[in-house]
Amino acid sequence: MTVPLEFREVALGGGRRRSTWGGRRAAADDSYGALNLTVERHETVVAIGDESSGVDGLGALALGLERGPGGAVCVFGTVIATLERRAQLAFRRQVGYLPAGDGLLQNLTLRENIQLPMRFGSDFQSGDIEGRTRVILAQLRIDPVAGVRPAQANEEERRRAALGRALALDPELVILEEPFVGLTERAGAELLEVARGGELPEGGRRTLFITGQDLPMILRSRVERTVRIARGARGVVAL
Amino acid sequence: MKSPIAAIGRGTARWLARVGALARFGFEAIASLRSLPGAGRRVAGRILLNQLRFTALQGVGLIVLLSGVLSFLVISTAIRQLGRVGAVDLIGNLMVVVIVRQLGPILTALAVVGRSGTAITAELATNTVLGEVRALEGMGIDPYHYLVLPRLAGCVVAVTVLVVLFDVVALCGGFVAASTSNMSGGRYLGTVLSSLTTQDVIVTAIKGLVFGGIIGLLPSFQGLSVEQGPTEIPQAVIRGTVGSIALIFVFSALFVVALNE
Repeated sequence: MTVPLEFREVALGGGRRRSTWGGRRAAADDSYGALNLTVERHETVVAIGDESSGVDGLGALALGLERGPGGAVCVFGTVIATLERRAQLAFRRQVGYLPAGDGLLQNLTLRENIQLPMRFGSDFQSGDIEGRTRVILAQLRIDPVAGVRPAQANEEERRRAALGRALALDPELVILEEPFVGLTERAGAELLEVARGGELPEGGRRTLFITGQDLPMILRSRVERTVRIARGARGVVAL
Repeated sequence: MKSPIAAIGRGTARWLARVGALARFGFEAIASLRSLPGAGRRVAGRILLNQLRFTALQGVGLIVLLSGVLSFLVISTAIRQLGRVGAVDLIGNLMVVVIVRQLGPILTALAVVGRSGTAITAELATNTVLGEVRALEGMGIDPYHYLVLPRLAGCVVAVTVLVVLFDVVALCGGFVAASTSNMSGGRYLGTVLSSLTTQDVIVTAIKGLVFGGIIGLLPSFQGLSVEQGPTEIPQAVIRGTVGSIALIFVFSALFVVALNE
């Protein structure tokens, strides 16, 4: 069985990482350490660190959205960043992604945002899409605001919708960037529970990799591992 | 002290790099049509219809106004001036050469740049700044498929249709102008139809396609090139608008040279 997510000697460059949209790479920065981290199946791993630690870009590096100065990130044994562009896009559909700041499309309603990956990236029939959307909306308790646009929803509702979109294709691996910022601990716990997709003897049904500057205390006991990324450190320091 | 030649060289190199990036963007956008998934076609089709509604349908009023007023002014003035030298029969030639072939496509394209080109740049720049483009890529949705292709196709179709509309309204406006300027409508129509050739119609339509392509691509390119934040959005809109206008005039000149018009 391939490991869902593995960071191998990933240089956490402090210089600007460049989006693959422009196709440019960042220069290596030796003042930062190299990260080695493996996320096993059914595990929820949270990587935390301050703004200068480079932790905020780990999700984008994993998905090949950004190119770091060194090392490799393997997702199910594949380094997405090295794939041809079309193959990258196809591969990313296997992974759920909640970007920092939610990334919801402002001209779509919350319901349409959740449906977008299914409508664009799957062969689901319209009835199946509607049914699955209803389930997700109910799970995340945002049915009453499903018809509003992101600008009309509050931060928690937007985050719930963004999580619903990340889970729309029921991925085995989900990458969440700063999912708990601005939420109450209770709301954060609820989102974590939905993201894990249920409990199995070996852990959550889904594998989660979460990044952020901090993790609320109440959630620390609900995840398998928390690692701290520190500037200048070689590797990571487990809390 | 910096050498002026070096500064010119750097500026030229930057400009050439932008032109190269735009060419690559255009090529990749068109090439991405091949990989548009079946399910994505339905979504992209809905966005295309929306773009057509905004660019073509809602632009009809402006085009009719521009075309009607322009043709009325040109023809009524020309009839008086040409009448003094006994060359009123040249009115049809004037109508076809000046309005149908040249001004129609250019003015239509400029109107669409003002209405839709600016909107496309601002919308895509906002998408980029708010992280929506990155989120699309993260979901495995190609921004070319979801954002660029529907706008490109919408602009190509809309500008072509609006150019034809502009010319039809201009011919009607000219008819009204002729009728109110001591020239019979029948004589006016006769001179216009004898000057109008099939090539004029084809070239006008091709200009519509090319100008529509420019308006679909350049504003999209500028909108998606934003990197630094919201303050860059107005600059991107300016670059998209000015660049589109410049390209429209450059391509108009190229058409004149290539077709020996």
